Amino acid sequence: MRRGRVWFTPIAAIAVFALTLAHAASTIKLGVAGPLTGDQGAFGQELKNGAIIAVEEWNAKGGVLGKKLEIVLGDDQHDPKQAVAVANKFVNEGIVGVIGHFNSSCSIPASTIYHEGKVVQITPASTNPQFTERGFWNLFRTIGRDDQQGVVAADFIVKKLKKSKVAVLHDKTTYGQGLADETVKALKKAKVKPVYYGGITQGEKDHRPVLTAVRQKNPEVLFYGGIHPEAILLTKQMRELGMKAAFVSGDGVWQKEFIDIAGKAAEGAFITFTPDQTKIKEAQGVLKKHKEKFGSDVGAYTVYSYVATNMLLDAIAATKSTDGPKLAEHIRKTKWNTALGPIQFDKKGDVLVSPFVVWEVKNGKFVQVK
Amino acid sequence: MLVQQLINGLTLGSVYALIALGYTMVYGIIELINFAHGEIYMLGAYMGIITFGLLTTLHLTFPTSGAALLIMMVMAMLFCGACGITIERLAYRPLRGASRLAPLISALGVSIFLQNFVMLAQGPRDKGFPHLFAGEGIDLFGSRISAIQMFIMATSVLMMAALQLLVHRTKIGKAMRATAQDMQMASLVGIDVDRVISATFLIGSALAGVAGIMVGMYYGLINFFIGYIAGIKAFTAAVLGGIGNIPGAMLGGLLLGLIEALGAGYISSEYKDVFAFAILVLVLIFRPSGLLGKDISRRV
Repeated sequence: MRRGRVWFTPIAAIAVFALTLAHAASTIKLGVAGPLTGDQGAFGQELKNGAIIAVEEWNAKGGVLGKKLEIVLGDDQHDPKQAVAVANKFVNEGIVGVIGHFNSSCSIPASTIYHEGKVVQITPASTNPQFTERGFWNLFRTIGRDDQQGVVAADFIVKKLKKSKVAVLHDKTTYGQGLADETVKALKKAKVKPVYYGGITQGEKDHRPVLTAVRQKNPEVLFYGGIHPEAILLTKQMRELGMKAAFVSGDGVWQKEFIDIAGKAAEGAFITFTPDQTKIKEAQGVLKKHKEKFGSDVGAYTVYSYVATNMLLDAIAATKSTDGPKLAEHIRKTKWNTALGPIQFDKKGDVLVSPFVVWEVKNGKFVQVK
Repeated sequence: MLVQQLINGLTLGSVYALIALGYTMVYGIIELINFAHGEIYMLGAYMGIITFGLLTTLHLTFPTSGAALLIMMVMAMLFCGACGITIERLAYRPLRGASRLAPLISALGVSIFLQNFVMLAQGPRDKGFPHLFAGEGIDLFGSRISAIQMFIMATSVLMMAALQLLVHRTKIGKAMRATAQDMQMASLVGIDVDRVISATFLIGSALAGVAGIMVGMYYGLINFFIGYIAGIKAFTAAVLGGIGNIPGAMLGGLLLGLIEALGAGYISSEYKDVFAFAILVLVLIFRPSGLLGKDISRRV
């Protein structure tokens, strides 16, 4: 028995190695990265599901360049260090492009690795301006930027709500604080100086102390830069403390849970997000497939991921190549007609037209404000 | 604003104290920092939701939501207590003779296992906790103290008083104190040390289960990750008060809650944790065994 194993091991190793080689040659791999597990796992799953639907559609048509497509998953657990590790692994494995990451704090450090490895990265979710501001040729995003979003939010507060006493809170992340700062910048342009500005900690459950301090300033509007778990707690706790201020926040809060769990406290909240996907003709296919395959409606970022994946695969098919610079060139110059509506990229890799509009929570539903 | 912040801080602090008790009791007896303790608290919150779901599907209606709450708490206490005993039996007892690092690593492993188990079994998304408190609360010196805040403080005080009685007035309490003083000597005089340790895990975990339900109701939102931060905070509270010391854990919890609330309210919410940990460092510099901790030279 013991002797038997000795000769078996190297043969098995060679067999496994040969198998992986054969496998690698017959498929085209694309990476999907985001927080697949951990407390933000739900977001990562949205990215993954969007990419899966796109890849299945392409594989049903026979793949690209005569090869089947394969998704390689990278779990960054919304930890920048993990994101860099995932990026290195992706580049070493020879993936043709990356859909992801989710968090701006992950997308930005990982993008440096993809840039060095000459790999195209399209993020469906990272909105921090810094991502595309460093002059890298390989970066794109199908979502807008926080400076676009901040302007929309500030405009809405000043012109539509006609309020000038604004308190600003954020979650100290690249995304949350970035969005809060861009909004403050836009507010200051409109001569509105926030009456309170402060940060809270992600994962923390009790925000009553800071809200009590905010209440002291009697704000008419509370703007929050961050994602929905904290937004749920903030809205609930501010109403409990008897605060009447309007709650305004960004795309990270546009989640079903925000309404489901915050309930009455979410009513009347304003969220900046992209236009209603259910009204876009090209999106009907992916919305239906998601329902069939996963048994639920799409999440906030699913369609962004679907569109990003399609762009990458379309670029491979059109250029008949998996060479990073060629793919980037194609993605940049094409006028895309996508499930998110028409998209065109500028030099930096940002979408040309700001996609943000304001939504309101009305009777337990997100309703686009006209 | 001061009164409001004091109310906020005391509510938060009494929850920290309840969880800290579990850390401190276990440490007092087997000198193990049970890193899985935060996860027990998370399990308690989930057990509350599951029990509530069961009650609704069985169409059991109660005259008051208080009765439903009581059942949820009892279920969470039983379940968490059982989990605590099982974890001790499977992950710590086999390592009792090993170096002190081994059970610590084992505790971290249990913590990671439980988190991921709940994530896979219950899903990674946030869950809403049922609303069981309709009360508006009362106004006090221009501040509002809600019904649930009163309930949390009252329950915590009641639990801590019961624990004190148990430790100082009952036979098992006496056995626990004896085991904490000297495990070998205790077993020589006929105390079943294994049973005492199991009882310690049972009580500490049951308290964490209650804390889980109360926090679930207080915030109305739970997920599989809530045990992590709560665990760190409660551990800090236990160390602040003097780990191994039961009144110390209560004091530490309340202090930590107050420091956080006042720091966030008056200085800056961004630096809230900095104050909490800065005070911890200061206390440890001047009183290395915590505020109420015993002199550790006894062990040498």
